[in-house]
Amino acid sequence: MNRSDAPMPPALVSPWQRLRAASNRLTTRSASPVLLAGLAGLVALFLAVPVVYIFLRAVGADAEAWQRLLQVRLWKLLGNTLLLMLAVTGGALVIGASMAWLTERSDLPGRKYFRWMFALPLAIPAYIGGIVHLALLRPRGGMLPRLLENLLGQPVYTPSPLGFWGAAFILILFTFPYVYLLSGAAFRSQHASLEEAARMLGYRPLRTFFSVTLPAMRPGLLAGALLVALDILAEYGTVALLRYETFSSAIFVQLSGRYDRSAAAVLSGVLVGLAVIILWAELHSQGQARFTQMESSWRPAPIVRLGKWRIPALLVAAGVTFTSLLVPVGVLTTWSIQAVLDPETLRSVLHSGSMGFSNFAWNSLWTSFLAALLAITLSVPVALFSVRHPSRVSRLIARVCQVGYAIPGVVIALSLVLLVNRALPFLYATPLIVVIAYVLRHVPQAVRASEAALNQVSATLEEAARVSGRTAVQAFVQVTFPLILPGLLAGGALVFLTSLKELPATLLLRPAGFDTLAVRVWVWANDGFYVQAAPAALLLVLISAVPLSFLLRREQIFK
Amino acid sequence: MSFYRLTSLLFILVLLLTACTPASPVTPEVPTAAAKLPDSTDVPTDVAATETVDQTISGKLVIYSGRSEPLIQPVIDAFKAEHPEVEVLLKAGSNSEIANALIEEQANTQADLFITTELFTVQSLSQQGIFQPYRPAAADLLPPEFVDPNNNWIGLTLRARVIMYNTDLVAPEDLPTSIFDLTDPKWKGKIAAAGSTNGSMQAQIAAMRQLLGEEETEAWLQGLLDNEVTFFGGHTDVRKAVGAGEFALGLVNHYYYHLQLDEGSKVGVIYPDQGDGQLGLITNATAVAVVKGAQNVPAAQAFVDFLVSEQGQKIFAEQNYEYPLLPGVPLREGVQPLESFRLAEVNIAEAALDSDATFDLMEKLELP
Repeated sequence: MNRSDAPMPPALVSPWQRLRAASNRLTTRSASPVLLAGLAGLVALFLAVPVVYIFLRAVGADAEAWQRLLQVRLWKLLGNTLLLMLAVTGGALVIGASMAWLTERSDLPGRKYFRWMFALPLAIPAYIGGIVHLALLRPRGGMLPRLLENLLGQPVYTPSPLGFWGAAFILILFTFPYVYLLSGAAFRSQHASLEEAARMLGYRPLRTFFSVTLPAMRPGLLAGALLVALDILAEYGTVALLRYETFSSAIFVQLSGRYDRSAAAVLSGVLVGLAVIILWAELHSQGQARFTQMESSWRPAPIVRLGKWRIPALLVAAGVTFTSLLVPVGVLTTWSIQAVLDPETLRSVLHSGSMGFSNFAWNSLWTSFLAALLAITLSVPVALFSVRHPSRVSRLIARVCQVGYAIPGVVIALSLVLLVNRALPFLYATPLIVVIAYVLRHVPQAVRASEAALNQVSATLEEAARVSGRTAVQAFVQVTFPLILPGLLAGGALVFLTSLKELPATLLLRPAGFDTLAVRVWVWANDGFYVQAAPAALLLVLISAVPLSFLLRREQIFK
Repeated sequence: MSFYRLTSLLFILVLLLTACTPASPVTPEVPTAAAKLPDSTDVPTDVAATETVDQTISGKLVIYSGRSEPLIQPVIDAFKAEHPEVEVLLKAGSNSEIANALIEEQANTQADLFITTELFTVQSLSQQGIFQPYRPAAADLLPPEFVDPNNNWIGLTLRARVIMYNTDLVAPEDLPTSIFDLTDPKWKGKIAAAGSTNGSMQAQIAAMRQLLGEEETEAWLQGLLDNEVTFFGGHTDVRKAVGAGEFALGLVNHYYYHLQLDEGSKVGVIYPDQGDGQLGLITNATAVAVVKGAQNVPAAQAFVDFLVSEQGQKIFAEQNYEYPLLPGVPLREGVQPLESFRLAEVNIAEAALDSDATFDLMEKLELP
């Protein structure tokens, strides 16, 4: 602060100076944490309200609703949901990790390009991928079966994209990039000596891979797998489209079925309970993800020569890219061109909905942008508190702020409809309620990004600023904030991206006449008008690609 | 640095879109009707007499529709052409989804109007006090059974539940004549229908429960399930699938057959259950109701007037191939008049009371 902090003979320190020194200590050590703790606590409270409310509704639902559901439906839904979750998580792990190995540890031709191709499907919402693959593959009526029939002169059996296998197939295609990115980073940072040691002990390459390489990657793989699992629990569009009933789609049907909210609340309560377990495991696995690195002697693990396997590996990689990226984008582009060329279709595309195309594109942008801004703002006090003042309380608050991951869009919508309509009726049926839903669901991503950014800025920098006379707020604004800004922007980009793609909460919460790109795509495709849906879908994918490529450039494997 | 590039890109994107965003809603592309109006005031046109014409209507009109958007958009566009000062905001969803929203919003009304695909929902909502009475002048011209005795709702059009088929896949001598033929194993895996969230399907089940009783209806539904009928979310999927030859038969409302025929598909239609002792043709009516607590009652009433006017009814008949309830409005060419069929007679008020039982049945059978 000033010279008074310097040690000097006690007799020379005036009482006034002593008081100032004491108050300075107070503001650094406790006053600002109290304020910060209050702010962070408020954020946590705001985020926890909907989930607590749904739990209370579920528990408070009359026994009859529970009984009716327990008889058959609940178990069947539980089975369906868990089965899909396991299948997709497993599939995404296998594809994600093997593609990561190919691009990071092998001499796969064109691996620089494949890195992008394997990550970019994240810009495509799974339900849009599902719409495209359904139009292509649907038994008898799909483009592929008909093409084959025309070519061969007789109907040919093609696998159906409907039901369990179809839903699993589509969801694997559009969630494996999570695993790919996390395991890619893990492969990249792996130490060469690890495998060398195993080889020196006489392990064969395959045994080395399974007993050394893979276990070392466990934290990364586990984190990816749990993210995928949470995503599948929340997924609505794809399973509804491909007619495989899980909790999310059953809740949606309940909401649009009988005039009774208690069954929906019961299902939501069970679903959130399930998701909380997985979230807990995920948070737990994060703690283990810190593995020791021998910084001084680190060198990258050697590239494996594929030899005769180069061509098969290339074909597999190309096949994955083809189905998850090229086919959806190609088909959407073709349909969009068809829509633009046909004047009548173009007219219906531009003037559909209450307000027209530019209006709902704009709605998508501003709601997602506002959600990103709010999520980042809310995440800062939480991250500051948990990173700079680690304690049991701050850890609890940070954990509570992760709860959004465990509340699927349908459940957020249900709880907001019930809650806001009673408590804040003026907010109900405004676009702001849609933004609130996005914030509730996506704040966890922002909190993680802000925490990561803060972790990289040493607290000593802030202390130095304080020592040179800045207040806590000044130190944050002038020193910390500029340094963490790129990290905050990354968090914002992630929230923006996921909000753009959000479907079920928007569908249920939007006021009359308020459409977003995702909603329009869904409404059109649900009515079977794929060509009309394509321009909006393509625009959605293209806009999503902007924040995504920004995020990817920050990833280790793209540097 | 890449994030600067991105932020500036985003910023430009946002700016661009702000520039593109219309300050006011996009005006409907129905230039002829709009252009004919001499000025922007509400000049009564040759539309059937309405009560509210002398009142200038404007502001927002919020319509909740259980009918899907493509079927309701033409009449909204025509109304907007007549009343350019009214900003029409549409929220379309499944019948029961919208009905749930209306119940939820009772203390905080958002909608001005509710348009539905069948009468059970309006009847049941009307009993719960969701609507306010309004009787347009044209109500006297409609068949009395399609006007609520308390004027809480008014019918718009009729639709028949028919079986459409793909003419390439079904020989004339094999055609089913009854909806009960759909449970015949020879059609196993070859039928498409709309699922349990669809209003017309719900209404058909409710009607059958009343006419045949619970057991026989359940047996029929179970028969459909055993026959591996594919249930879609809506009828557009059904008609397209039958048109594409994906399915031989589809259980739909009659106009879906016409819409598919329009696209050049090889499809035919059967009006089922016409024989002696058979059920008769099941029909259902679309209806409209003004919501209690509506913010813009004048515009809502004007819209109801428009829907039952000759002009509005013509749009339903011409564009959707529906049966208009207003007498004297001609059917679209090719639509078979309902007078040539024996209709199943359903007591709507009674069936509406049983709507919970219908949902119970669908849930019990796990109808998709």
